[in-house]
Amino acid sequence: MALNILLVDDSSVMRAIIIKTLRLSQLPLGEIHEASNGQEALKVLDGNWIDLALVDINMPVMNGEEMINKLRQNPATADLPVIIVSTESSETRKEELIQKGAGFVHKPFTPETLRDAVLRTLGGLDEQKAGDRTL
Amino acid sequence: MICKVGVADMKVSAERGDLIITHALGSCLGVAVHDPVASVGGLLHVMLPLSTIDPVKADRNPFMFVDTGFPRLLIECFKNGAQKQRLEIRVAGGAYSQDREENDFFQIGKRNLIILRKLLWKNGLLLKSHDVGGSNSRTMSLEIGTGKVTIKSGGQMRNL
Repeated sequence: MALNILLVDDSSVMRAIIIKTLRLSQLPLGEIHEASNGQEALKVLDGNWIDLALVDINMPVMNGEEMINKLRQNPATADLPVIIVSTESSETRKEELIQKGAGFVHKPFTPETLRDAVLRTLGGLDEQKAGDRTL
Repeated sequence: MICKVGVADMKVSAERGDLIITHALGSCLGVAVHDPVASVGGLLHVMLPLSTIDPVKADRNPFMFVDTGFPRLLIECFKNGAQKQRLEIRVAGGAYSQDREENDFFQIGKRNLIILRKLLWKNGLLLKSHDVGGSNSRTMSLEIGTGKVTIKSGGQMRNL
């Protein structure tokens, strides 16, 4: 089954890095949708079937946290797996964000860290095999 | 057959019974590449990040530097039937040369890893697994038949 993925990040460079990593991860990719803020992402979710969202937190117009809160309130998207990709370093804040999503990847990340987080979220990677240590 | 890889050296094999092994990986990098379908693999032991510091030496022995050694490892594996999309790449070593990372003035281990990372990204390759950093010396081995990579360090042995 091909996976439709939504990338939400205000940096086009970061979105390009994530797309390249996903392609290298040999995942069965379907459509990849891009949005540069939470509001745009909600519009994409309104009109498309998405299997996984990778969401930045600090963005203009609507930040990632607000976007996730809104999609959790909508029965159609309430169960969507979300991986938060953020520079957030505070453990307390990270814990809060992890509660809202399905995974957390700290920026900067290695491609392998992102790949492992995606595979873990999609159930394809044993926790113990995931390479969490960064180079 | 057991094939030993010295410092600034590389071995590639397509013999299922071969075991390739390299010792004393400190700040050096051990890079193991394996194609499980073709049963082809190789092990590289590189010392330094960039060949630009001594191109003459790099010409004589490309396995001394990450930027010349890693491409040669890939090319030799391809010549023996390996295919890029099937490659499993594992790396070990890159330790700091002092007891603490902040005391390691030249940071050779870290720089070796950065150059390898750049080459991987540029060539569209991801690591399967890694065991890097720290201050321990490592021994790395690759079984050609199974692709199993083993790391021995501090009296402990584990699969990578």
